[in-house]
Amino acid sequence: MPDRSRDLERLAELLVGFGANVQPGQILAVTAYHDMAEAVRAVARAGYRHGARYVDVFWWDMFVKRARLELADEETLDYVPPWIGQRLRWLADERAARISLTGSDSTIFEGIDPARMGRDLLPYVKEVPVVVNERLTNWTAGPSPNPRWAQRVHPDLPPEEALEKLWEEIVHVCRLDTDDPVGAWRERMRAIVASADRMSERSFDAIHLSGPGTDLTVGLLPSHRWLGADFTTIDGRTHYPNIPTEEIFTTPDPERVDGHVRATMPLEVYGSFMSGIRIEFAGGRATKIDADEGADALRSIVAKDGADRLGEIALVDGEGRIGPLGTVFFETLLDENAASHIALGNAYTFPLEDEADQARANRSPVHVDFMIGSPEVDVDGITREGDRVPVLRGGAWQF
Amino acid sequence: MAVLTDAERFAELVVEVGANVQEGQEVEILADFETEEAVRAIAGAAYRRGARYVDVWWWDALVKRERLLHAREETLAYVPPEPGSRLLRLGEERGCRMWIVGNPQPDALEGVDPERAGRDLMPRLKESTEVVTAQTTNWCIASWPTPGWARQVFPELEPTVAFERLRAELAHVTRLDEEDPSAAWRARVAELKAAAARLNERRFDALRFRGPGTDLTIGLFGSSSWRAGSFERVDGVESVVNLPTEEVFTTPDPARVDGVVRATKPLELAGSLIDGIAVRFEGGRAVQIDADSNADVLRSVAAKDDGAARLGEVAIVDGSGRIDALGTVFWNTLLDENAASHIALGGSYDFVVEDETERARANQSEIHVDFMIGSPEVEVDGITRDGESVPVLRRGAWQI
Repeated sequence: MPDRSRDLERLAELLVGFGANVQPGQILAVTAYHDMAEAVRAVARAGYRHGARYVDVFWWDMFVKRARLELADEETLDYVPPWIGQRLRWLADERAARISLTGSDSTIFEGIDPARMGRDLLPYVKEVPVVVNERLTNWTAGPSPNPRWAQRVHPDLPPEEALEKLWEEIVHVCRLDTDDPVGAWRERMRAIVASADRMSERSFDAIHLSGPGTDLTVGLLPSHRWLGADFTTIDGRTHYPNIPTEEIFTTPDPERVDGHVRATMPLEVYGSFMSGIRIEFAGGRATKIDADEGADALRSIVAKDGADRLGEIALVDGEGRIGPLGTVFFETLLDENAASHIALGNAYTFPLEDEADQARANRSPVHVDFMIGSPEVDVDGITREGDRVPVLRGGAWQF
Repeated sequence: MAVLTDAERFAELVVEVGANVQEGQEVEILADFETEEAVRAIAGAAYRRGARYVDVWWWDALVKRERLLHAREETLAYVPPEPGSRLLRLGEERGCRMWIVGNPQPDALEGVDPERAGRDLMPRLKESTEVVTAQTTNWCIASWPTPGWARQVFPELEPTVAFERLRAELAHVTRLDEEDPSAAWRARVAELKAAAARLNERRFDALRFRGPGTDLTIGLFGSSSWRAGSFERVDGVESVVNLPTEEVFTTPDPARVDGVVRATKPLELAGSLIDGIAVRFEGGRAVQIDADSNADVLRSVAAKDDGAARLGEVAIVDGSGRIDALGTVFWNTLLDENAASHIALGGSYDFVVEDETERARANQSEIHVDFMIGSPEVEVDGITRDGESVPVLRRGAWQI
């Protein structure tokens, strides 16, 4: 097993110095799974070097959660200890920086009754979206390779090789194999934001996707803007909530989606594996759902309120590094940045400028991204006059 | 019946007899890294007993190391408010606390400036002294073997042999090698309580410790009682707060401590090892602190606040306990303090002092640092109110 300590240092520096953009004197909160100790120590080191006042780690242990799901009394499962939300409140009031490390193995919960699982969403708490919307904290999420996750992603490889392969992939997609990863990301973000601005300028009426098994038109709302994943706090601190990020995204018109689409990658949703997904849309609604695997699980999710309409459309160009690997990471952070995608369910309202449009954005308790892009899928913009303008061909921007 | 693993037997002991988890309780476990097997078994056992929620606060000494190496000097005394308020709330809710000690990274603070190390006592919290004194939680501290700890305790052994030895010794002192560990602890706790009752009958005015490098007289309050074995929560829920426990202790008069004392075992304090401690007391205050190593850490801790240089506890450990007989230094207070008689600088358990005027005089501090002063060579006498000397302990055996 090669020494990954240098990559860990570079990953930590990228997350601290660029992603979360930690400032001197800030509290830095780190959320991590229990088996990410090396990465957390590297993040703590980088945090203190950037002048953090205190690095506060919230470790999460899936096996302790499993013990609860197996053994706790049914009526206690909704209980959320108040300190987790209070800690987030404290972090927001402190204008703290936050870093989440991702890369877990949901197979730990195999055999648990899904009804019991659905009642305990920890470590997620309802204060998370509140604090995100308040824009008080500068935050990011990034991947942290670990043995269990590696085995999930590469089940056919022996454990050491699986971890090594996952490390290689993470180094590549996080651009840690460049001389200056932070510089590489600044440049990539400039390109992404420039693409988003060009798309916003065109103000297309709809996006059309065509390729093997796909012929789909997604209507856009009049005041929509395309955005890249660079955020700014109310205090003016720039931060990049996802490392890596490759997408530009907007909120579609949930009533004007028509045609059919075939997913280009499998996905995992709430612990269920789905592949070969095919969906037909009419008048915005998903009217027919098929899949090679996991169709029933997807249908049961889509049966939830608002989950049969779209809440997001995102474009990823061929410069993105995740898609070409062809790896399913079982982590939304990575998988949704692999290819152009759409999401069933809830929408962000901030890409819409008019209140009237915001009121039309889709609402749902769920948000399920699935990948529909590939080099073989052509993306066109349709103007208000009905003209068709090439947007992506073979993964390359056409304007 | 299924055969229980060692971790499951340990978990049952800690949950049933140690912390005595109650139905519907919240349980907070402060856990060293690498004690996962035990902590996950404890979570399972606690849920089986009907715990409402088991919260684990994992502690990684190497994250703390990064702070002590790299954080700005002026930030080191900062303590995040969250863990403390969480503890106080747990007390209000009559929750349950555990601390599972594994000491997996004994070298975590190697190369760290001791002055800096003394300024950050995390994960110790002043609120934990508050909830102990307020007796609002049922709680237990217990230990579980880790490879790093085994290397520290048995540096001369092969790592796997060292681990096996530590595992066996911890199982022995925690009485997990008994057929029914819970029953064994109930019996031992009864013995310790009987010794405490005999001391309470005598109502000594002071204790005197004499041995190599030690001649120390510790004044006692007229109304303070000796305690042992288990604590009662304000509403009567009992817990054996240390597993193992071998001590009989009380709260001394912080204004009447005089003489010199030499520690009989090294002390592990917030990650630093302090060897050969020698302290001189005058009028209750530690006026001179020396040590062969890391004396500055102890000095800096003893300067934390007004009470940090005065005594908050005196404890007697007799020779029938299982720890000292092993002759092992565990570099860990939970175990080492139950190997020998000891005193503690800092905060006291003021609830053992019955008279209100005296209780108001019990020592207050945000620190509580135990160090061992007993050995078979150290004689303990009780001094009566008439000034007579009564032998209490000779070569580890009770004389009363």
